[in-house]
Amino acid sequence: MSSRKKVLLKVIILGDSGVGKTSLMNQFVNKKFSNQYKATIGADFLTKEVIVDDRIVTMQIWDTAGQERFQSLGVAFYRGADCCVLVFDVTAPNTFKSLESWRDEFLIQASPRDPDHFPFVILGNKVDLDNRAVSAKRAQQWCQSKNDIPYFETSAKEAVNVELAFQTIARNALAQETEAELYNEFPDQIKLNANDNNRNRDGDNCAC
Amino acid sequence: MAAQNKVESNSGDMPSTTDPAAEQKDRLIAAVKKEVKQLMEEAVTRKFVHEESGGVTALCGAVEACLGQGLRRRALGLFKTSSTTALLHKIAKNCPEAALVSARVLSAEGAPATRSASGVERRPSAPRPPLHKRGSGSLLGSQPPPTYRYLWIRIALFERQLAKIIEHLVNNATRYYERDALVADPDYGSILSSLLVGPCALEYSKAKAPACFWTDPPADELVQRHRMSAGTTTPPSVRRPILNFRRSLNASSDDNASVNAGSGNSTASSAKDYVESLHQNSRATLLYGKNNVRVQPKDVEEPMPGYLSLHQSAAGLVIKWTPNQLMNGYAESEGIDKSIYWAMSLQVCVWEVVYVHVHRSQASDALILVGQDGVQRPPIQFPKGGHLLSFLSNLETGLLPHGQLDPPLWSQRGTGKVFGRNKGRRRPMPSLCESGENDESEVDEVAGDYVFRIVNNAIADREAMRHSLLERVIQSPPRTPRRTLASTSTTSSDSSTMSVDCPPIIGNLTQTTITQVSLEQAASIELVCSTMRRQIISRAFYGWLAYCRHLSTVRTHLSGLVHPNIVPGENTNEGLTDAIWRSMMDEQGAIVDKDEVYRLVYYGGVQHDIRKEVWPFLLGYYEFNTTFQERQEQDCTYRRQYETTMSEWLCVEAIVRQRDREATAASIARLSQSSGKPKPEVEPCEVFEDDCSVISDNPPVVSPEPSENEQKRLEVKPVLSRAPSIDEVDNIELDEEKNENGVKINGETDTCEDITFDDDDDDEVCIKSVVENPDMRRESIAEIKRLAEGIVQKGDGRGLLCSVDSGNANLYGNDNKSIEEPAPNHAHSVIVTNPSVDLAVTGGSPASGGTTAPASPARSPLGVLREESHSAGASFDTLDPESRPDNRSNCVSPASSNGGVYSNELVENFALNLHRIEKDVQRCDRNYPFFTDENLDKLRNIMCTYVWEHLDMGYMQGMCDLAAPLLVIMRDEAVAHALFARLMCRAKDNFPSGQAMDAYFADMRSLIQILDCELYELMHAHGDYTHFYFCYRWFLLDFKRELLYQDVFSAWELIWVARYVASEHMVLFIALALLETYRDVILANSMDFTDIIKFFNEMAERHDASAVLSLARDLVLQVQTLIENK
Repeated sequence: MSSRKKVLLKVIILGDSGVGKTSLMNQFVNKKFSNQYKATIGADFLTKEVIVDDRIVTMQIWDTAGQERFQSLGVAFYRGADCCVLVFDVTAPNTFKSLESWRDEFLIQASPRDPDHFPFVILGNKVDLDNRAVSAKRAQQWCQSKNDIPYFETSAKEAVNVELAFQTIARNALAQETEAELYNEFPDQIKLNANDNNRNRDGDNCAC
Repeated sequence: MAAQNKVESNSGDMPSTTDPAAEQKDRLIAAVKKEVKQLMEEAVTRKFVHEESGGVTALCGAVEACLGQGLRRRALGLFKTSSTTALLHKIAKNCPEAALVSARVLSAEGAPATRSASGVERRPSAPRPPLHKRGSGSLLGSQPPPTYRYLWIRIALFERQLAKIIEHLVNNATRYYERDALVADPDYGSILSSLLVGPCALEYSKAKAPACFWTDPPADELVQRHRMSAGTTTPPSVRRPILNFRRSLNASSDDNASVNAGSGNSTASSAKDYVESLHQNSRATLLYGKNNVRVQPKDVEEPMPGYLSLHQSAAGLVIKWTPNQLMNGYAESEGIDKSIYWAMSLQVCVWEVVYVHVHRSQASDALILVGQDGVQRPPIQFPKGGHLLSFLSNLETGLLPHGQLDPPLWSQRGTGKVFGRNKGRRRPMPSLCESGENDESEVDEVAGDYVFRIVNNAIADREAMRHSLLERVIQSPPRTPRRTLASTSTTSSDSSTMSVDCPPIIGNLTQTTITQVSLEQAASIELVCSTMRRQIISRAFYGWLAYCRHLSTVRTHLSGLVHPNIVPGENTNEGLTDAIWRSMMDEQGAIVDKDEVYRLVYYGGVQHDIRKEVWPFLLGYYEFNTTFQERQEQDCTYRRQYETTMSEWLCVEAIVRQRDREATAASIARLSQSSGKPKPEVEPCEVFEDDCSVISDNPPVVSPEPSENEQKRLEVKPVLSRAPSIDEVDNIELDEEKNENGVKINGETDTCEDITFDDDDDDEVCIKSVVENPDMRRESIAEIKRLAEGIVQKGDGRGLLCSVDSGNANLYGNDNKSIEEPAPNHAHSVIVTNPSVDLAVTGGSPASGGTTAPASPARSPLGVLREESHSAGASFDTLDPESRPDNRSNCVSPASSNGGVYSNELVENFALNLHRIEKDVQRCDRNYPFFTDENLDKLRNIMCTYVWEHLDMGYMQGMCDLAAPLLVIMRDEAVAHALFARLMCRAKDNFPSGQAMDAYFADMRSLIQILDCELYELMHAHGDYTHFYFCYRWFLLDFKRELLYQDVFSAWELIWVARYVASEHMVLFIALALLETYRDVILANSMDFTDIIKFFNEMAERHDASAVLSLARDLVLQVQTLIENK
């Protein structure tokens, strides 16, 4: 058990109930989609090894219950998070609207060292459905307004962008760790690059 | 590895030894066997074996040893390289498998830096693998890293060729091996090759990086590993409670308090120390010493001579007397038991002595010490000749400066101190001294008795101090640490350097030994010492006290968790079977002995077939003493009530649907607009406000460009069944009643219809569709029940009217928009659910197969709706007032009489809940065949009805899970709802709004602390553990997600009846049983908070439920016994 001392990134997935948090997590970790998931009760997590810039890191991805009433419980799990993934359902505008409160709630509860630069990633899930109600543009605008949060349009069902999104999550989380070590040297550059890439790609992918 | 090296060296050193050859072969083959076994075990637990696993290396080593033994190196010319490797290359010509491996080996050796097929050479930079440096016989010589070793065997193993190569070797052993070699042996050779067949069939992997090779084994593997290592699969026995209190307070009892202090030092070595302590030493000054002083101890007839000494130590003046038997050399008389002499020796602390009596007689001078307690010490008889006087004068000197003799000895010139003359008090004292000594040389000494009091000046001061302290202590009682379990040291936060901070309350335990020394400094040191001693004692006492209190608290606490009386579990193996159940009912259907029911269910569960019948009793919905008829009536009443409630929220739902639709339309319009022509600036703050006003977390399912039909379809889908279904069942049974009441309702009904008609065209559509329903129904279920039709119509009409009505009323208030869709939804849904209910009730058999069949035609939503809207044969007589159900008034009245009674708030609140419910119902137990769409609709109705009744609480995730098993058993929606409501009475406190969860966690803590201290310590070591969050889902859902369905049933029954049999909090004990089942796994892996969450999440639905439940019962019993023994 000597390998315990490796990089462990704690990632929290938040979002309204039914937006596909569990599905995204399982798609990323197990490369599987099931329509059998039940509403998450309590909290669960999965781990996965990923290679980020030649470093092997372990992602510990926490999946939480979506109903906001259960968030008091999640607080215990927020602490020490390296990255927070906010998920909404592109077919449900309300889930998009609650992103703001999810983000605020997380920042309050997890109280990261540097809230302004804490890495968030926004995932607009269920792009495989055709009854889309939140445009990519709108989501991007919001993300831009929130300190350029990277935005991905994903489909857990069809594995669209999931790998890419989690790679970004891992990289940003790692960057956050490294930044913390380096006293915040170049946080902005890193983020901007990631964002630019994403935005271009998203624009291409989702012409809805 | 070391053992294996030895084997190798053996094989190298004595290839041709004949005598121990057989033994050696045995050893070699045993080594291979062992390694194969280990490797196979590893493979079983992991499903694959990592190439760099130690097991692989070990096996290769063992094989190499076998192959090396008896190899004809010389004959084959195998010298310069590893002999077996060379052997491989040699046989490659004849054996195709060997050729393949040989090629691989060469390539691996040739390209050390690259990862070739076998992947074994994760080597640093060494250009040549050390293999080549090895001499043939000295494998030990070089110590290459393990991955290099046995390269070819490794590769052959991974390529699954090893067994074949060895077989080839065995078959051709004569060419390569000596006659007595292992490989050449007919038995051993074939054993070796067949042993390796298994490992050659394994999956070898280097896929995972070595770093993660060891991490996060899945729960399965942990459990399996544990089973293997433990040998047995029995659940660990629960540890006995550790309630025995082992600390002993006696250890601190003062030695200076006892006269027989020496008795403790009865061993020879301590005897020596003791004697030496009588001499002058660093710790104590010898003030006086005299031999042959006689003392008559208890139980001894004659006074015995001994050595009397007076010591000045830090603790004060001590008078010691030691019998001569002990003084005469300790090394002597080994055999003699000296303990009786030790018991006789005296050790008196002067400060415990108040009076010193002196009896001077002709025969001898006797000195008697009288202690504070008034007890006299045995008389000390001094030989004649001033010895007593000199002792006293030394004593007096020793007492200074803090004490003195009262009266003091008189100083006399020339002779020194003498006894005072006038203050001596004569008192007759029993003289026990009868010494025959008659030394009368000193005649001038006056015979007489004297009494001296030992006055301690310091005592007065200290007494005063003590009193003030005592008062202080009384004012503020000492802090009693409540939870310090046998760890008094942790409570010492208040043990400041204030040496006086010790409440001397505990008189029984602390001997108030007030001492005084002659020096000021010594006195203060002594004071500190004694205070410390008292502190230690008192702390020990308080620790003990706290522990006792804690235990009693825990006991009280635990006694609240279980019932005091133990209900025996005899003859309960089968649980509550059908036969027993029937036999317990009287002819009216009443059950007399409900306790017996509880007992049977507690110990044996309910037979599955009769669960439907028994559960309502267990949950308290039926009373045990009711008759069949009463229960039926109860059902009817409840159904009526249920459908009334349903009709209420169905009205609101209609409004919600309408709003959703509008909102969706708006958002789609916006979306298409924005995507059509890029509207550049949407201010961030507005982003959220632009689309819909309805609060919902459910996506309104609408396609971008909804056509009429399409929209309809989309609408209908999520709403599928509204269910006045139960209405009709009810109605059937209450037919007469309805007819009676029907007339009364006319007025209201008319009003409704009017409103409906006055509305736009859309409303007409609604009505039409409603009217259509009966036809549909007739088609689908006519054969089953004709009678139902009329009632269905009523039910439908009611539901519809109600919704339309309320919708209109509300919409009038807001904006004059019309309602289009809600009505069809209802109408349609009614059709869907009705058949099943009908079947269930009328047929009496809750077979799901039967219900689904008739329902299926009605389930195609599109077709149904179309048909409905086309056939306009509006038979309004279905809405005929006369045939209307009586409870219709109930449903209509809230809407019609109050108009816009549904406040916006209420609608929004319900909308929010509705969307959540739908979202969760859809994904509730989708893998369980029972939950077809139809049954999911029932579940949805139960949820909505309950939430409608408890809107303040609202829907909370997890409720679906709680209702689902009830529905599975009961089948009937209304009854399931009734049971669910009962269940929620207790369960609602578990949800975040309640407090029960925290209490559960606290209880778990106490229970684990009492029942499994080892586990408790592990949890305590990981601070996070104390949250007990891994139990969260267990308690919230009563283990519904942890167990399979059939196990959930038995677990729930157990929980329900346990409150009458053994414990109101059975969930705690089941949780504890789960934890105990895996305690060894948890302990062995020293799991932390996250590990254990992951472990139990992975183990969900894989527990051995019956074992867990019986362990839970055992735990209850254990706690009960514990309480009983109090």
